[in-house]
Amino acid sequence: MQEALNIAINSIRVRFGSEALTRAAELPPPQPWPSRTPIDRLTGIGGLPHGRLTLLSGHGTCGKLTLALLLLASATREFAHAMVIETSANFDPWTLLPFYPELSALTVVRAPAPDPAGEAAVALARAGAGFILLMGEIPEHWLGPLESGASRSGTVIVGVVDAPGRAFAHASSLSVGFSRTDWIWERGQLVGLRASARCVKNRVAPPLGETELEIRYPLGTKALSDHRGQVSEIPSIRVEGLECTSAVV
Amino acid sequence: MHVCCGLTNHLELARRPDLYGNPVVVGHPGGRGESPINKFEHVIAVSEEAAPFGVAPGMALRQAEHLCPQANFLPPDPEAAARLRELISSALYDLAPAVEVHVEGIAWLDVSGVVKGGAISEARRRLRAAIGREPRLGLAPGPFSARLAAARARPGRLVRVDEARAFLAPLSSHELPLDAEQLERLDLLGLRTLGAVAAIGPRELESQLGHDGRHAVMLARGLEPDQLTPWRPPLFTSAHRQFEEPVEDREALLFVARALCGDLAQELGLRGAGAKRIRVRLMFESAGRAQGALLLETEQRETVVRHPLSSAAELFGLIGSWVKEWQPRAPITELWIELPVLEGAGRRQLRLWAGGDGNSEEVIAALERLQERWQDQFGAEVVHKPRPALLSSPLPSQRFA
Repeated sequence: MQEALNIAINSIRVRFGSEALTRAAELPPPQPWPSRTPIDRLTGIGGLPHGRLTLLSGHGTCGKLTLALLLLASATREFAHAMVIETSANFDPWTLLPFYPELSALTVVRAPAPDPAGEAAVALARAGAGFILLMGEIPEHWLGPLESGASRSGTVIVGVVDAPGRAFAHASSLSVGFSRTDWIWERGQLVGLRASARCVKNRVAPPLGETELEIRYPLGTKALSDHRGQVSEIPSIRVEGLECTSAVV
Repeated sequence: MHVCCGLTNHLELARRPDLYGNPVVVGHPGGRGESPINKFEHVIAVSEEAAPFGVAPGMALRQAEHLCPQANFLPPDPEAAARLRELISSALYDLAPAVEVHVEGIAWLDVSGVVKGGAISEARRRLRAAIGREPRLGLAPGPFSARLAAARARPGRLVRVDEARAFLAPLSSHELPLDAEQLERLDLLGLRTLGAVAAIGPRELESQLGHDGRHAVMLARGLEPDQLTPWRPPLFTSAHRQFEEPVEDREALLFVARALCGDLAQELGLRGAGAKRIRVRLMFESAGRAQGALLLETEQRETVVRHPLSSAAELFGLIGSWVKEWQPRAPITELWIELPVLEGAGRRQLRLWAGGDGNSEEVIAALERLQERWQDQFGAEVVHKPRPALLSSPLPSQRFA
C-alpha cells in the first residue's frame, strides 16, 4: 500500500514537477498573529494563524463571544482594518469598549442574509483586511473563495457560532470549543463564569490541550487591570466592564 | 555611490541578433531629409566585427562602405531601439534603486546599499537574456569611471575600481564627453591623459573650454559630478475602439474587449509594468442633440486591484466579468479601457508598513463596492463605521453615530 502510494507520488512529481505534491508535514506553518490571549497557547504556533479560519464554538453562555470581542479589540489596535460581519444585527460596538478598542479601525458590515455576508467576507479577505470577525456562518459556496482569498492576503478570520455546520467546521483550520464549567458567585450575587476552552481541531500544529477561562461581569468600578495576573498556573483572562450578548446575567 | 555599468552592443545592433558575428553597420540613410542635418548619411552604430576596419560612429556612410564593403548595412529603427531600452530598463528595475539605460548599449545601476554580488550577476544574466550577448561589466564609484571600467573588461567579466582617480589617470583624455573641437584643444594644450586633465584646476580648463572644461576636470579627478537619471515605469496607458455602427451584441463587445486587453498586456509587458487601477468606459449616443451634433454619454466602472495586472488573461478576467453583467442604456459607440495607475509588475511588498494587513486603499475600495452594490437593495447602513456619539446614553442607538 505504502509502496503503491510512493510510486503514485513519484509519478505525479515526475510528470508535473516536484512542487506538485507536498506532504502536509513539510508545509510551512502559517504565520501567527499573537493575540495575547490564552488562545495563543492552544494554537501551537503562538497566535492565531494568518490566512486561515479560526472557529470559536460552544452552546449558550460559555465565553466564546467574550473572547472574540477581546480578539477584535486587539485587532483594531494592531491592524489598519478590523471587520465585523454579522447577519443578525446584534453586534453592539459598546460591548467592545471595556477592551479599549481603536474604533477608527473598526468597520461593521450588517449583511441582511448569509449570502451577502459570504460575499462581503470574500471581498474583504481578498482585499487584504487585517482581521475579520464572522458573527455566524456563511453559505458553503463562499467558503472556498474565502479560504483562498484569506490564504493569499493573510487575513485573520475568526468565526463565532454555537454549533458549526459540517462545511464551516471543515473549512476551519483551528476550532476551539467552549463549555461553561461553573458560575462564579460572590456574596450571593452572580459575578461571572468559568469556562473551559478546548482545541478540537488544529491543522496548523499538533493539537494541544485545553485551558480555563474566568470571565467576570461588570460590578462596581474596579479597573480592568486590577484583575489581571491573579491566576498564575492556569492561563486565563479575567474581564470586567463587560456586557456580553451571550451572557446570562 | 557605487555604480555598476553593463556595456553591450548599441541597441540598434541588438535588434538583429541573427547578425552577431558578422560586421554590421547601422547608418542613417540620409539624402532625403529637408534639414541640413539629415542631408548627410552617417553611421550610428558599428558592431565589434566592423570596428577593426576603421568604421566608427559618426563617419559618413559612404566612407564606411569603402572601409568595410562586406558589412551588413542596416537602416536605423529608433522606435524599436527605444522599446528595447524600455524592456532592458524594466528587466533591471528591481535590482537597484536607480537604473539608467542608454540606446548606445550602456546600462547603469546604482548598487549602493545593495548586495552587490547578487545584483551584478543577476544584471549580467538579464542583460545577456535581453541582448543575446555577454555584457562587459564595470563597478566603480560613479557612472563615468564605471563605463570606462566596463569598456576594459572582457565579455561576461567585471572590472572593479576602488580608487577612481588612480584608475582614470593613465587613460586617454579622448574618453571625456567633449566634442571633437574641444578634444583637439585638449591635445593642443598637451592634456593627453585624464591624469593630466585632473592635475590642472577646474577654473583653468573652464577658461579654455567653458563649463564643459570644469565638468571634464571633475570627471578626470574621479569626483563623478553626474548622477543617474532613474528610469521609472510609465504611469498611464489606455486603449480604445470606436465602432462604426453602435454595438448592441454583448459577444461583440467581449471580443473587442479581449483584443484591447491583449494590446494593453503587450504594452505592459514591454514596459515591465502592471495595472493597479482599471477603468472601463462605455460611450453611447445620447437621445438629445446639441446644435445638430450628437451628444455622447458615458458609463464607467473602475476598481483598484490588489496585485498589478499585467497579462491579457488577468485583464480580461476582470474586464470581461464587468462587460458580461453590464446593462448599458443604449448601443455602444466606443469602448475605452484605461489603466490610470501603473507600477512595476511582479514587485510586491505586502504588509511592509501596515499593521499586518494589506493595502488600505484596496480594503476601502472593496467596502465602497459592497456599499454601492447593496445600497439600493438594503440601504446605506449595511457598511457602518461606528463613531462614538453619546456613549453614556441608555439607548444603544444613540451611543454611536
